[in-house]
Formats: sequence, structure tokens, C-alpha cells
Amino acid sequence: MTAKISITVTVNGTAQAADVEPRLLLADFLRENLDLTGTHVGCEHGICGACTVLMNGDSVRSCLTFAVQADGAEVETVESLGSIDELGPLQQAFREKHALQCGFCTPGMLMTATDMLRKYPLETDDDIRDGLSGNICRCTGYQNIVAAVRSAADKRDGK
Amino acid sequence: MKPAPFDYVRASSVEEAVAALAASNGDAKVLAGGQSLVPMLNFRVVDAPLFVDINGIEGLDLIEEKEDGGLRIGALTRHFALETSVSVRDRFPVLHEAMKHVAHLAIRNRGTIGGSLSHADPAAELPMMAVLLDAKIVAAGPDGEREIPAGDFFTAPLTTVLAPDEIVVAVDLPGLPAVTGWGFEEFAQRRGDFAVAGVAALVTREGGTVTNTRIALMGLHDTPVRARSAEAAFGESGIEAAAVAARQDADPMNDLHGSADYRRHLAEALTRRVLTAALERAAQ
Amino acid sequence: MSPPDDIDLTRPQFIGAKVMRREDPRLLAGEGNYVADIKRHGMLHIAFRRSDHAHALITNVDVSAAQAMEGVVAVYTGADITRLANPYQATSRMKNYQATFIPPLAVDKVRYVGEAVVAVVAISRYVAEDALALVELEYESLAVLVDPEEALKPDAPKLHDDLESNILAAREFARGEVAEAFADAAATAGGRFHFTRTTPVTIEARASVAEYDKGTRTLTLHCTTQIPGIVRDKLSEIFDLPGPRIRVIAPDVGGGFGGKTSLYSEEIVACAIARDLGKPVKWVSDRMEDLMTTGNAFDEIVDAEIAVAEDGRILGVKADVIGDVGAYSIYPWTATIEPVQVVSFLPGPYRIANYAARVRAVATNKTLTGAYRGVGRPISVFVMDRLLDMAARKIGMDPAEIRRRNLVNDDEFPYKAASGLVWDKSAFQACLREAADGIGYDELRREQAAARADGRWVGIGVACYAELTGVGSRIAVAPGMPINTGTETCNVAIDSTGAVTASFGLASQGQGMETTLAQVVAEELGVKVEDVDIVLGDTASVSHGTGTYASRGAVFGGGAGILAAKAVHEKIVRVAGHLLEAAVEDIETGNGDVRVKGTDKSMTIRDLARALYSDMGRVPKDMRDEIDNLEATKVYDPFFGTTTSASHMCLIEVDPETYKVEIKRYIVVEDCGRVINPLIADGQAHGGVAQGIGVALMEEVIHDKTGQVLTASLVDYVVPSAVEIPSIDVVHVEAELPGTVGGFRGLGEGGTIGAPACIANAISDALSPLGIEIMEIPATPERLFRLVEAAKAD
Repeated sequence: MTAKISITVTVNGTAQAADVEPRLLLADFLRENLDLTGTHVGCEHGICGACTVLMNGDSVRSCLTFAVQADGAEVETVESLGSIDELGPLQQAFREKHALQCGFCTPGMLMTATDMLRKYPLETDDDIRDGLSGNICRCTGYQNIVAAVRSAADKRDGK
Repeated sequence: MKPAPFDYVRASSVEEAVAALAASNGDAKVLAGGQSLVPMLNFRVVDAPLFVDINGIEGLDLIEEKEDGGLRIGALTRHFALETSVSVRDRFPVLHEAMKHVAHLAIRNRGTIGGSLSHADPAAELPMMAVLLDAKIVAAGPDGEREIPAGDFFTAPLTTVLAPDEIVVAVDLPGLPAVTGWGFEEFAQRRGDFAVAGVAALVTREGGTVTNTRIALMGLHDTPVRARSAEAAFGESGIEAAAVAARQDADPMNDLHGSADYRRHLAEALTRRVLTAALERAAQ
Repeated sequence: MSPPDDIDLTRPQFIGAKVMRREDPRLLAGEGNYVADIKRHGMLHIAFRRSDHAHALITNVDVSAAQAMEGVVAVYTGADITRLANPYQATSRMKNYQATFIPPLAVDKVRYVGEAVVAVVAISRYVAEDALALVELEYESLAVLVDPEEALKPDAPKLHDDLESNILAAREFARGEVAEAFADAAATAGGRFHFTRTTPVTIEARASVAEYDKGTRTLTLHCTTQIPGIVRDKLSEIFDLPGPRIRVIAPDVGGGFGGKTSLYSEEIVACAIARDLGKPVKWVSDRMEDLMTTGNAFDEIVDAEIAVAEDGRILGVKADVIGDVGAYSIYPWTATIEPVQVVSFLPGPYRIANYAARVRAVATNKTLTGAYRGVGRPISVFVMDRLLDMAARKIGMDPAEIRRRNLVNDDEFPYKAASGLVWDKSAFQACLREAADGIGYDELRREQAAARADGRWVGIGVACYAELTGVGSRIAVAPGMPINTGTETCNVAIDSTGAVTASFGLASQGQGMETTLAQVVAEELGVKVEDVDIVLGDTASVSHGTGTYASRGAVFGGGAGILAAKAVHEKIVRVAGHLLEAAVEDIETGNGDVRVKGTDKSMTIRDLARALYSDMGRVPKDMRDEIDNLEATKVYDPFFGTTTSASHMCLIEVDPETYKVEIKRYIVVEDCGRVINPLIADGQAHGGVAQGIGVALMEEVIHDKTGQVLTASLVDYVVPSAVEIPSIDVVHVEAELPGTVGGFRGLGEGGTIGAPACIANAISDALSPLGIEIMEIPATPERLFRLVEAAKAD
């Protein structure tokens, strides 16, 4: 057994302190230690993107990040985007465009899209597809996800 | 797919990191962006008793413009920073283009140039760019820093000349001559995947004559390499000859994503494309 | 007082409407409840040590070191599970079928790489994985069979010593005079087709949480299954527990696509351990396990030939199918489901008088194959529609035209296909026509000619198919299966609070059935959609149900929902007649109210429920005795099922240097009967086509000669991203509604059935100047490169 390390991570605005094994993946820290099960684990090797969260504002794979590396960081998960009763604008766009079916890839899609919308102009739908290409969805064929992100980008741009 | 147990230390300086590595007698490994390392830990194909996390070291994430038109890039510079750097775009447009092909946003947010070079995947963009751009890789060890030409840095797939207690701290890209055109092409079946094959070229013209050509290959050899015979053939006989010669420069392997024959074919096809593009850009 | 003007009660009010999904808010907010999210006090975690041999005798198992590790609670071997669980197999009444026992943990012998051998139970998944390395296993290697053609030879080593051979099933079909048809042909075409092995890749991998309540001796399994009822029924036998003491719950499930329609070893092991230890246990498949163990799909070699007349009429078709079904015959579907469907659906929507086919399902040292979106039919359509294009090329006919000439015409229904299947009326010809109009077929042909003149490889693909959906009791989903997949149950109940609940034996994996079934029940009952609670995926809710698979949800759920809601509606009307002092014929419901037509007399259904259940005296005893409650359970059996048909068309371009295929246009025109919710129906087509594109261009499970799985990560098993999938146009043709209750046809699988053939045809069309026919998919750049190199060498 290796020594546990004390960390404090600010998750969705709340400081969370814990003693964790260095090997604990951020995804498992969020899901197991903090009960934030909205972050999903789909492949644990960085391909599917289901576990994507924001760390200090940047989208990261929480399956490729150790909880100890988030010590002192701000982490945002899907739970920060809105609630069942009051969905955030991106969540609302996903709902209106029927951009989810089984919902398992959805939290990762939402967090990736959040980062994309902050960082890229997303002038064309091809740009959106490119930005989403690290998140695998098996249900929707992507078309409605692209439409939802397009709708959010248009709103962002005041269109 | 959970990693085996390990100890963890967060280094706050290069010296601290090197000392921690040296103290482990070669068993410890460096954790930078982790985007290639952590999957291998999760699959348990790699493990180590100790990981030295260098993400907290200050001052290693800089992109500095040099007077020769080059850049010094700190080892902890994230791919996203390279992708969006105006200095990179203006001074090394070929690198700017290549960065768009590096995986996906969430990976680019974490992955570092030092990590990518140290990981030395022969199908990755940055090692190939280092070779193409004649980069000097600055490594720090117990005896201080040393500079390693990119051409000497990569020795085999996932293997470099770095000693177990050395870390990359910076990459120096010497400035390119004026009127240098570039081309970059990579082929992957799915967006953002490692390249089945990739080729990049730089063509320098002076007064209408091509004075220098550099061509580099990825996914086509057990390390990123310069395509020397293609470079020579281009100078002597032009694009077609260079494209054909690139097949000889390639020494690809067979794997699930492509046979050696197909990769050689791609070497030729992509060399044709990048030289055409580079020549065109050099003419502008 | 007449009903308020602002509420339109014209029916249909909800069916056909783009109702936003009720599942979405919780899934979007991260508040879904997937199996991996479930936590229980004292829960333990299971990890499996799996075989790294494809075929070997287990000569020694030593778990002592693993057992002794800190944090490990128990370790189970095959022998342990044999004591805790009765053996089971997938039986079938089909002739020439051999069932195999499927040991939940391997006993004595392993038969594929990834087969579970030892289960470690520990305080966390991390610790359980640590202990796996301490399990000591010794093997004695046996000859490995990875080539089904080798495995079917009489002298091949046998995977199962108790069976006669490795041929788990064999069947022949024949109609008409095939030899004569071929003798009379103007042209024949054909060859060997190979449809490689794939795997479903749900983004949520399989998972189980099993709990055993010692006090009530009740086993509860939360599981990612599509078939909770089938799992419950079999677990009852495996554990000698009566149905009420086994509850199988499928909560939010992250995609199924058929991969979650089988009973899996891990589910049985989890239950056995939970019962043995008296502790809740969890197993969550990691991606490597998923790629190695979830039911693989397809994997057939088909030698096929077509004979056509000069006018393009199909004279006859021959096919010989070898299905590589893997190491065991999967429960419940058996090893027959995939390869037998290939031959029974091969004649497709075409008029074929002479047909001869043979199929053999052959066991090999690979992962079991099971159901995956389309089951057999992606291969049938790939082969049949490739044959049509090959024949059309020989006689110089346009691919759309040869289909028009051979598709069953509207006046020929019901049509008995050459394999014996009967198509009820479906818009075969209209789908083809509208697809051609929608994509601008003639214009595309002109553009293609121009592009070809420029040396570009541009191709147009066409594929047509018909499938049986909502298959009732007349035909089993898989031939001879011992379970009934031909009925489904719905209970509609209005309780004493006035709330409506509709419970089904179906389960949802993302199809939006909480929404669509609420639409159907609300429509029939005359209440608001949001006031109908839908219960799915819980065996405690109905006495019999099997689940969601085989494009049956809309037909069975919609049908059973309508029947049950109708029965409750009748009760409402009778009680309302009394309470509102009107004749039952004059009572109508809508918006949650009951009214007397043309008057201002009305009451809420909620008040009516209170009157019946709670306010004694408002409803007389004799009426209460007769009505009992506002509840009804109905079972729907569509008997034959109904035909769903579609035409797919696409435009692709092959890069002549990299051989990458770009899909530039794609259209689906389908007749899926009455559409309950267009948003959801279109989404099913989008997703189905996307999976079909993956199958056509990139997805392939690859084994080496020793049976090792080379595609055990998503780096090597490549599924498409948003960049590789185009926008897809979907058009619904509601030509003539089928005879199913509600007029629904099934639609889940169609996209995946049509797309591989459509794309293979388009690539063949693009490469036709080189004489290349795509006979094997996925048509990866590597394969195209080799085909072009070979063509150039000729």
C-alpha cells in the first residue's frame, strides 16, 4: 500500500478535502468519493471522452488525470451546468435538438462543447464536428449533437 | 482498468524533479500531461513505484521568440498553447498546422511538448516536427543541462536517448530562412487518431531557386525521420522523383492500421502533396 | 360549457407529435441512474481474471496468494460457481442444432481469449485488479480454431467434447428450380462475400450490481440488460428461486444495440457471489473486457450467386453461408440467430421465385456472437444488393432501375418471400422512388459522369431492404428458441391519488420509450403526456415480459399500451357515466378530465379515482365490485409481426491516393408505419446509419492465428467520430398502416441493415472503371489499396 495524499479540490464551487491514493483517477474521485456520478467512465484510455470535465476551465479527460493532480484546482462537472429543474442553455439546446439518446456520452459531450464554445469561433458545422471528434456517441449519429452545439454557438454570437 | 499502486511526488523545480528521479535508481517515471502515459497505466502495461509530477514546475510553459526568428518552447507548454500561439503560427506555420491534427481538445489541453517528445511515438506529430525543424531538445539531469539535436534524440519506438534521471525542459526551434514554404499531410482513418502515415516538408527558395528542402516522415519508420533520399531527389529531379524516393526512406511496419506496403504508398502520395503545397507557398 | 378553446382535443393529439423527451432533463443534468452509479452500504467489487489462451486445458488454479491479499474478501473459481449455480444452455427445437453449456467461470477448459476463469471480490475495483495478478493459472494448450472453414472439417479438433462436431447448427432452404433458373440466365454474377466480425461498443459497458437479502431470501440484480424478463426467468432456474424472489432491474442503460440482449456469465457470477456472501457486489466491465466479451456480431462468409434475365428480372439466387459463431451457443438466442437470419432474409424485398441456400453455424475459439443491430440482415442486404449491382453491371442496367423491376409491387402483398417469410404491405417501391427523388438520383448520375471524366472516384450507392419487426408468437425471433418473444405485457393503473402509471416488460437503452409510450397511453386514455408515469425494465412490474430488442418496442409497447389503456378507459367511462349521470356513449376524456359531450358537466380523472377508491358512497358497491379498480393488464401478440422497409442512397468519393472514403450525401426513406415521435424516429435512423457506416468502413474485431484479440482497445477497434459521419436525410413514408394495434412498425435496426450494402455498392460503383467489386467489409483504406493495386496489376 502506498501512502495516501491529502488534497483539496474545488468541485463545482465547493472545496472538497480528501486523503486519496495517488493512483486514484479523477473520474473515480468524482464518482466514488464525491458521489458526482454525472461524470461517466467509458473507456479509461482517453478515446471515448465520456469522462470529460473542466479543470481550471480547460476540458480534460478525468480518466487520464489523477485526483492528486487536481489538488488546488477548480473542477467543473456536468452537475455545474444546470439542474433537472433548470437546465443550462447548452443542456437546453441538447434537449431541443434531441441530441441525446442513451445519455451516457452526454456529460462528456456537454463539457467538451462548453470548452469548445469558449475557445473556438466554430464558424462551420465541420468545425463543430472536428471539435467533437474526441467524444464518441453510438446512438445519435452526431447530427443532432452538431445541431445543438450550432444552436448554442449562434446564441453565443448573438445570432 | 485501474492503475497499479504507486507513490507520487510533485516537483516544484527541475532540480527537485531530477533529484527525485536520480534517487529512485532509474525506477521512477516522469508524469507530465499524462495523455499517453495514463492509458498505459490503466491498462497496466506500464507501472513504476514512483511518479514524479512535473506539472507544478514554474516557468516551463513559455513560448519565447528568439532573435534568429526561432522559438524556445518550454517543456510544459500544452498542445493547446502551441496550437493557438501567434508566434508559432507566424514563425512556424507548419507546426501550427500540425497541431490541429494532435488528438482532441481535451488531450491538447493537457498534453505537453516535453511529454510528447519524451514519449517518442513514431506516429505522433511533435517528434516529427522536432526532426523536421532541426530542433534542439534541452534536457536537464543531475549534471546540469545538455542539448540534443532532434535527429539524435529518438532511438526506437517509445525510446529516446534520455537517461532515466533526465527530463526535457525546453525545445529550441532555430528560425527558418525567409521564403520557406511548407506542407503537412497526415492520414488517419479517424480524426485525431495517431497517423497511419504523415509527411511534412519545408522548401526554401532564394531568387527562384530552391536552396533547401527538408522532408520528415511519421508513422513510416520506427522513429520520426528525415526523408534524405527524397530531399536529394527533389533537388535533383523534382516532386515526382522525391515522392518515389520517399518510399525508400520509409521503413514502415505492418500493424492493424496499415500494412507496410500501404504505408509506403502513402509516403509517396503524401510526399507529393506536401511538396506541391510547400513549393506553392514558397512561391508566394 | 364546452371544453376550453385553447386545448385541441382532436385526436391524434400526441401520436405523431415532436414531444421532447422526458428522460432528457435527468440525463442532461448528470442525474441519470446507471448501474455503475449504484452504491450500497458494504458493497464489494468484482474483477475477473480472464483467459489469455484461446483453447487450453486448465491444469492448475491457485488462488491462495490472491485470497491472502489485504482488501480481498473472497476468490471464486469455476468449481465454486458450479456449486452455487445450476448449469444452463440455450436449447432450441431446430433440427441439426447442438446446444453448448456455458460455464459462468471456465471449468477445466477455456475456449476463447477473455473467458472468465476466476472472480476476485475486494473492497474496491482497484484492489480487486491488484489481486488478479496473484492468481496462478496453468494451462495446457490445445489446437486453436480461428478459421471456421477449418473448424467445420470432420477431422477438426472439437471445442466441446460432448458434441458431434463444431457445427452447432445447419439448415437448408429451397424454393423453385434454381438450376434451371441459372441455365436460362442472361447473366450471372456472384462470388465470395465476407462480412467481418464486429462488436456493439455501447458507450456504457455492461455492469451488474447484485444484492441478496438474507431475511427475505430475495435476490436483486441491477443490470445493464435489454432483457430483464428473460434474465429473471433463467436466474430463477439457475438459482432455484421462485420469480418473486428474483428481481431484475435495468435502470438507465447507456445503449444496447443488441449487445445487452444476452444472459452473460458476469451477471450469474455476481448473483452467485452476492447470495453466497450475503453482501452487495458490483461488477463494471472495463472497455478491454467489453471488447473481448460482449457478444460479437456478424462474421459470415457467404458464397452467393444471382441469375438475371436480360430485362433485369431476378431468375434465381444461391447462397452458402458459414457463420463463425464463436465458442458457445449464446443464451437465449442460440448460435442460430445470426447465420440463419442471413439466409432467411437474403431474398429481401425482391421477387425471387428460385432460391437455394444452406447455412452452417460453426464454433471457433472466439468470443460468442450474439445479437447486434440488424442481426443477420446487414449481411443479407449486403450480399443481395451487391449481387443486384453486379448483375446490373453485367447487363448494362442502372442499379435503381434493376431494383424497381424486382421490388415486390404494391398489388402483390402479402408476399411470401422465397425463404418462407411473409411481407405484409409495405412501401417497397415508394421508398425507392422517394429516395431517388430526395437525393436527386438522375442529377447525381450526371455529376458522377463529369467527375469520372476528371479521374475522380465518385460512386452512388443504393440498397433496399425489408425486415420483420414486432415479431409475434407465430414466428420466434430465433428459430426453435424455448422462450416466448412473441408477446408483451402492459399494466395501466390509475391509483388512489389519481396518478396514471403504465408498466411494461420492455426496457429502454436510450430509445426514449418513457416518452413515446407515455404519448401512446396518454392519447388512448385522454390524459396529459406528462401525467403518465412509465415503468420499464423492472421484472417486479409485470408478470411476464422479455425486453427490448429486434425492433419490437414500438409495436409491442405501443400495442400493449393501447390495449391496456383502452380497458382502463372503459372503466373510467362507466364510473363517469354514473358520477356525471350520463350515458357512457356521451362520456369523453381529454386533458385529464372526463366530460359529458356537449354539456358543461365534467370532472377530473383524479376526482373520479377518489370517488371510486376513497369516498365510499359516491360509487355504489355493485359498480365497485364490477369495476374493481382503474387498472388493466393486457398482453399484446402481433402474431406475424409487420414489415418495415426502406431504401438507402448515398454519394461517396474515394480519395485516389489515400483511399479514404468520404460520404458526401446520405438519404434514408423508410416505411415504419405510424410514427409516434418524429424526433425519436429520425434519431433512430441517424444512429443506425452511423453504426452501419462504422461497419462498412472501419469496425472489425481481429483475432490473430492464436486467437488473441488484437482489437482490445478503442484505439484498435475504431468506431466513427462526428467527422466520419455525414448528415443524414430521413424521410418517413406512411403508405398504408399495418394491421398492428396502433399501426406501428418497428424501426430500431433499419439504419444498420441498409447502410453497409449502400456504402459497399457506392464504393464498387466508384471503382467500377477498375472492375472492382467490394466483396469484403469494412472497406478500409488498406483493403481498397490492395484491391486497386491488384486491379492495376491485371
